[in-house]
Amino acid sequence: MAEPYVKRQPAGWWLKNPAYRRYMLREATALPLFAYTLLLITGVYRLSQGEEAFTQWLVMLRSPWCVTLHVVALAAALLHAWTWLQLVPKILVVHTNRLRVSGTLIKRVHQLGALLGSVGLVVLAWLFLAQGGS
Amino acid sequence: MSQTIRIQLERYRPEEDSEPWQQTVEVPYHRDTSVLDALNYIKDHVDPSLSYRWSCRMAICGSCGVMINDEPRLGCKTFLREYLDAGELRVRAMDNFPIERDLIADIGGLVGHIESVDPFLIVDAERPLSEGENLQTPLQLERYEAFSECINCGLCYAACPQFGRNPQFLGPAAITLAQRYNLDSRDDGTPRRLAYLNAEEGVWSCTFVGYCSEVCPKAVDPAAAINQGKVSSTLDFVQRRAVDPVSTEDG
Repeated sequence: MAEPYVKRQPAGWWLKNPAYRRYMLREATALPLFAYTLLLITGVYRLSQGEEAFTQWLVMLRSPWCVTLHVVALAAALLHAWTWLQLVPKILVVHTNRLRVSGTLIKRVHQLGALLGSVGLVVLAWLFLAQGGS
Repeated sequence: MSQTIRIQLERYRPEEDSEPWQQTVEVPYHRDTSVLDALNYIKDHVDPSLSYRWSCRMAICGSCGVMINDEPRLGCKTFLREYLDAGELRVRAMDNFPIERDLIADIGGLVGHIESVDPFLIVDAERPLSEGENLQTPLQLERYEAFSECINCGLCYAACPQFGRNPQFLGPAAITLAQRYNLDSRDDGTPRRLAYLNAEEGVWSCTFVGYCSEVCPKAVDPAAAINQGKVSSTLDFVQRRAVDPVSTEDG
């Protein structure tokens, strides 16, 4: 008897459909963040080598490619955070026999947390820099 | 019915063909002509050898799932008028399944997965009839109701690249059905179902592509069900580890 025809999943399966491209973009945000993590680890390593090495690392941070990496990593982090917050209400469901919290409220609370966390971090960094400069 | 639209069909006749081939047909359309109507027209007036599945014509039976312009859709719920700008429809059997014949996908894998997740109420102690109905509040019903709307059409499997890569993955509909019972206040079967939801081919093969929920014709949201299953699986792991740290070491 003739067999059913089995297609193999092509390597470019994600190229045709916008939903798959969005998914791959979301997953690809890990790459610039990985590169940024390596950059930070390098900084710690250079710090362990002494003041001169660390100063050279700081100078390197101002190079155009390094600034570009920062911009790309920031964009990737923001995109990843946005997709994360979109998906939170699908996963985090508060629904007991007595209490039901809407997905929108859960998402808003997370967005607020992300906003406060980000602003707080910038303020902390600013205070730290201001103290270091004085 | 004077206007026509071009439909490209992917044909495969296992007795004659070694691989699928394309057949182009001009089909007259009206505002309310569905893709299923068009397939029926082709079968009746153009080529009676065309094979496809269908039954209810109203998005309940889940038989007429096909790929339409690379999207998994129900033929009865998709209308030719949506494709007037594209000028052409490309129709083929659902992706990620073997092609049985023409537009008919072999969904045996999906059916097997659905059967394997104990999709029925499991109770620890049988209730005597004298206790009356096993009641549930509207809030308890609401917790799983959307997950119970699945019509087993298989569109979510056609949309899932992880199932395409590994057909052993239980996949969206089967895991959603398992969750539907796990979340049912009358059910005690969660420990039994977690055994395979926790496995490699269970919830953890899902990478939250999310396209399954986009294509679902009944708004079941299988991606939500699977990823809530990951929360349950994680809690189960932590609880078992807390109770018996040794036996959970190897998984």
